[in-house]
Parts: sequence; C-alpha cells; structure tokens
Amino acid sequence: MAVKIEVGAGGVPHNQILIYGLVGSIILIYLTYLNEVTNTEYFAFFGGLACVAALVWGADTIKHLCSYGLGTGVPSAGMIALGSGVIAALFGATTGVFAPIVAIIVAAIIGAVCGLLANHVVRMDIPVMVVSLTELAVVGAISVLGLIAMVGGTFNFMDLITGTTVVLGFTVQSYGTSVIGGSIVALIFMLAAIAIQHAFNACLGPNEMQDRTLMLAAECGFLSMIPIAVISFAFIAFVPALISLLVSLIGWFYTYMRYIELSKRDAYAWLDAQPILEPKGGA
Amino acid sequence: MEEIIFGIGITALAGALATIAGAAEDTESDIGSQGDPNSQVQLAPQMGYIHRIFNKAIAGEPPAYGLWVALGAGLAWAFMAMQINPILAIVLGSALAVFVQGVYATTAYLGRTASLAKFEQPVYIDILKSMTTVTMAHAFVAIFAAVAMCHLIISALGHPFPLPLLGLVWGIALGAAGSATGNPFYGKERQYQEQKFGAGVPISASGNIVRYAEAGERNSLDNGFFSAKLGGPASGICFGLIVFFELWRTVVFEPIAAGWGAVIVGVVVILIFAIIDRYIEVWARKTFGPYVAPEEASS
Repeated sequence: MAVKIEVGAGGVPHNQILIYGLVGSIILIYLTYLNEVTNTEYFAFFGGLACVAALVWGADTIKHLCSYGLGTGVPSAGMIALGSGVIAALFGATTGVFAPIVAIIVAAIIGAVCGLLANHVVRMDIPVMVVSLTELAVVGAISVLGLIAMVGGTFNFMDLITGTTVVLGFTVQSYGTSVIGGSIVALIFMLAAIAIQHAFNACLGPNEMQDRTLMLAAECGFLSMIPIAVISFAFIAFVPALISLLVSLIGWFYTYMRYIELSKRDAYAWLDAQPILEPKGGA
Repeated sequence: MEEIIFGIGITALAGALATIAGAAEDTESDIGSQGDPNSQVQLAPQMGYIHRIFNKAIAGEPPAYGLWVALGAGLAWAFMAMQINPILAIVLGSALAVFVQGVYATTAYLGRTASLAKFEQPVYIDILKSMTTVTMAHAFVAIFAAVAMCHLIISALGHPFPLPLLGLVWGIALGAAGSATGNPFYGKERQYQEQKFGAGVPISASGNIVRYAEAGERNSLDNGFFSAKLGGPASGICFGLIVFFELWRTVVFEPIAAGWGAVIVGVVVILIFAIIDRYIEVWARKTFGPYVAPEEASS
C-alpha cells in the first residue's frame, strides 16, 4: 500500500519564492566574482549562500511537483535536477563572466526537454511537470556552480581544471589536483542532490508546513556548505576557507535550532522516554 | 607473476573491507528503518498503530550511501592533498561524513513525525538521543571501510579514477547491496512476524507492524540487534563478493585479449550466480514454503 502524499496548504506563494530564489542566488553567485576583481579569495562563501537560496526555492518546487502523488519520486526529482544542472553548470563555467547566466539558460533548456519527455513519451501527464523540471534544472545548475565557486574560489573553467602540487619543493600545475580533476564535482553533485530532495522528503505528510520545510531546506544547504568549506582548505588560502567554514557553521546552527523549534511547534506531543500512547479512537 | 599475487592479496583485503562495510551498512539502515521497511513504519500511525521506531528517511539507501561514501572520500582526498597521512585523512573524512549523516537522520525523524501529528504520533525525543548515535557508529564503520577499500584500489591496484568519484560509485553499490539483500529480513519478516510465514502482507495487515518486544516496547535498537545477526552478515557477504569478483576478474584476466578476458569472465560469473540463485530459490520454496503453487504464494 503506497503512502498517500499530502502537503499543507497556505504559506508564501510559490511564484514569490521562485523570484526571490532566482534573483537572490544570481546576485549571491556574482558576489563571488569579487574574488577576481579584488584578486583575493575572501568572497568564496557567497557561492555557498547562492546554493542555499537556490535549494530553498528547489525544495518548494519539489513540494509542488510531488504533491501529484510522487511518493518514491521525491529523491528521483533531486537526482534529475542535479543531473541536468551539473551539465549546464560545467558548460556555463567555460564562458567566463557570463557563467551563471549561460548555465541557467542551458539548464532551463535541458529541464524543459526532460519535462516534455516525461509528460509526452513516458506519459506521466502531470500538469506542472515541464515548469517544475525546468525550475529544478536551474536550481541544480546554480547549486553546482555556487558550491564550485565556494570550493575553488572561482567559477572560471580554466582555474577549475588546473591545481597546484608541490614536487621536490617546486610548485607545479596538474589536472589531478584541481576541483574538476579531483572529482570534487561528483561530491558536490551528491551533496546538492540529497539536500534538494531531503526537505520535502523528510517533511511530507498531512501536517506538512511550508515554513518548516523551507527552514529544513536552508539547513540542508548550510550543512552541505560545511564539508565544502573543509575541502576548500585544499584549494584556497587559509583565512578565506576559515571564513567559509565559520559562515557555514553559524548558518547551520541557527537554521538547525529554528527547525527543531518548528518541529516542536508542529508535533502532536514532544515526549522524552514515555511509553506508546495508544490513540484515543483505538487501533 | 609476483604482480598478480600482490594484486590478488589486495583483492582479498578489499573484499574483506567490503564485507565489513556491507554488514555495518545494513545494520545502520535497519536501525533507522531506511529503505524497504520505511513505508510500513511511515504508514503505521496512519492506521492507528503508534510506535516507538526510528524513522529516518533520507532518500533511498543507494543515493544516501553514495553521498556518505563520496563525502568521506572527498574529504579524505582533500586532507591528503593537504599532506596529511592517508590513514588519518580517511578517519577524519569518515568522521565528518558521519556528522552530516547524523544531522540528516535527526531532521528526517523530526520532520516525518511532526507531519504525522494528525494521527497522534508523538515525537519521542529519547529515540533521537539513543538511536542516532548508534546509527552514526555503524555508519562510521561502513564509510571508513568503504573509503579505505577505494583508497586501496587506487593506490595499490592503480585504478585511474580519483578517490571521490570511486567513492561515489562504490557507495551507491554498497547502498544497493544492503538495500536488496539485508533489508527484506527486517522489512518483510521481522515487521510482520505475527503474520504466518510466507503469507505476504495482505492489505488488511498494512501498517500493523510489531510494536511490542519481548519485554516492553520494541525500538530500533532491537532491530539493530536482529539485523546484526541476519541481514547484516548477508549484506556483507553480498557486497564482499561483488567487490572481490569485480577486482579478481580484472587483476587476473585483464591481460588476456586486450581486456576482453575480464569482460568475458565477468559475464560468466554473473551466469554462474544466476544459476545458483535460481537453484536456491526453488529449493527454498520446496523445503520451507507453506504454499506449493506460486499463484497462492503471491497473494
């Protein structure tokens, strides 16, 4: 017997979240470009914040898409979002300063094609499928690009495929020690794919509340930033990486505490070491 | 010749690590009721069966383990790039990955349970306190063994993939092995041990999972104990054999016919296992099954 997927009604309209998510994440991802302008690496953490903004939007999109009864489809939605997004993000990265814009356009095309295939070839016939998969692919592209910018300090493709390594006291450039050559992108793919679907996957049910789900999405985003900040110690200077780590930890702690408060608010009862309370109507 | 003997030694060691990883992975996921058993744990309160079982739904096991192992491997790779000793790097990477896993587990339980308020399912906060740590401990063993295996494959057998990518591939395989092999012990049998053996789960019994233990109320630590006895070792053998045969055929047969030898041996191994599986299934149905005709067994 399949579990019926229900979502709570009300809350902020989806289109409003879409606009805030899209504009906010583009602005935040362009703030990492200050690294190139000022020739430092202190602004890398803005990439992670762009990812958080995109994930909040993406979680709300998944909620809309999966309210059409896609129970086990929730994790799959995250996978297809990042699968489309990672291609667009890597293609976009080759275009220099236009990277975020190009990535979003390419992702939207890939997402729309996926949506049309799902609706007309696989015949899933879900009204919001095309729009949702387009949005999800864009979210995936921004997440990947944001986390890449955070770990490497830049979204410039040439800098992402050249790393430096020290051999016998000499610094030499090598592909194997770069962000892409070291397959850190594979890790970013999984981090964002699990983070984007977890918020709705964890909160689905008849008492789902939008503010709690979106707070969890933000928490997942900050949580994903923590390991990325740790890995960024291998690519960018110590102080910028430390700033990234502190921003991630503070953001994660705040959103986690808020999420627990909201869960406490919504729970039927909050018990510690109590026996099973059989329901009043009887089992 | 010496190279091949060395390769087979590494293969055996990687297989042993994989066995440990598989056993720990299945125990971890069963304590959290992840994968196969999850739908019934989620359904039970909706049918009026309030329970004290941990419900941590973090995607399916293969994507979740793909992330944990890729995370452990990615962090270990970064620590090694910072000139940290590989063993220490793998331990630190796995520890950080387990932190992420633990946080995901708590948010999943809180979210799922709070959204079931309509059905009067309370949040039992002691479940989080006592069981999250146990799943994290098992996850650490699984992640550490899997990442160590990947490092061994790269550094000793010269695999061309970078560590995070190999971690992702083998992590997904690890989750799939545990999900397919170990979970049915808990999801199909233990949750429904009150039903007649082999009877399947009729619609009327949906959500009616076993909620009381030998003494007191069943919680997920009891399920961990059960999984460590049956499902865990079965998953361990499954994943260990996968890793062992995969590496063994490559190490021994790759020089034959420009690599095609390894491919052909791989196909032969799959065929042999398909025949063994079919034989065991038919034998088990005849020996243990209360039903003779297959159409009745699927009711």
